[in-house]
Amino acid sequence: MTEFDTRFEDTGERRRTSDAPLSIHDLLDGETVQSIAQEAWSALVGDDEFLVPLPGGLPDDALSSWVEIVGPWTGTVVLTCGRSTAEALSRALLKEHAPPVLEPEDIEDALGELANVVGGNVKAVLPGPSVLGLPEVGSAPTAGSPADTCRVDLLWRAQSLTISVQGAAGALTDPHENNQNEVPL
Amino acid sequence: MKILVADDSRVMRQIVIRTLRQAGYDDHDIVEAEDGADALAKVGSEKPDLVLSDWNMPNMTGIECLEALRSSGSAVPFGFVTSEGSPEMREKAANAGAMFLIAKPFNEDTFKEHLDEVLA
Repeated sequence: MTEFDTRFEDTGERRRTSDAPLSIHDLLDGETVQSIAQEAWSALVGDDEFLVPLPGGLPDDALSSWVEIVGPWTGTVVLTCGRSTAEALSRALLKEHAPPVLEPEDIEDALGELANVVGGNVKAVLPGPSVLGLPEVGSAPTAGSPADTCRVDLLWRAQSLTISVQGAAGALTDPHENNQNEVPL
Repeated sequence: MKILVADDSRVMRQIVIRTLRQAGYDDHDIVEAEDGADALAKVGSEKPDLVLSDWNMPNMTGIECLEALRSSGSAVPFGFVTSEGSPEMREKAANAGAMFLIAKPFNEDTFKEHLDEVLA
């Protein structure tokens, strides 16, 4: 039997280019982001793995993974933590399949997949239709406007990590710029 | 029976395989594919009884793989295990011939719910 969720019907409502740009603060809050991340941690990292909402400060060698969301709200979901935290997360995900010495690709793969799962579930609570990109890993991407960034600071096993849902840089700095194409040339 | 697990993330393939074991499907052969193109080739060479595929993958996405399979006449049972499950994606998956879409994160109960009728 095929079973698909049809609760979310398309209402037919569409945004217009004259509408003010969506701010992430109108769409979700830190509690929602933490809840999404906790669900991912419980399922992927382990049943007894908890994220505690406390700021801890990131080390200098912080590593980020992120996925882009393009739609009525466009931006990036970024997971950032220290390299030792990233390694511990990779071991937790791989469990008995973790090699004695982790390759950089294993760490990038694990961190990218966590961002992918969190990003996919963030996308699900944002207005659609939207598209999720493939995960990327590296130094943290440029921070977005604070007016369009929802960041949560968390501790996992007493190690700091942050999850930032941030609008495309500058998207909210000049809302009039988005209306230029409405003027006939 | 044989299950083909397609995901570009090796870590996620391991998690899917581990969840299959936890769900009680530990006597099935597992074959891995690292993207949609690899999955398409391995459906031909390995003849799996079920394909569990990610959606977003480089080279060939999961939905492109499913469409290519159905176009070639393959009726292999196919389900998505993917990081997002929007209504649009569920509809697209169903229209293309997928049996189900499991959104990540998942657990063994989610797998049992969807896989029992295929693998029991």
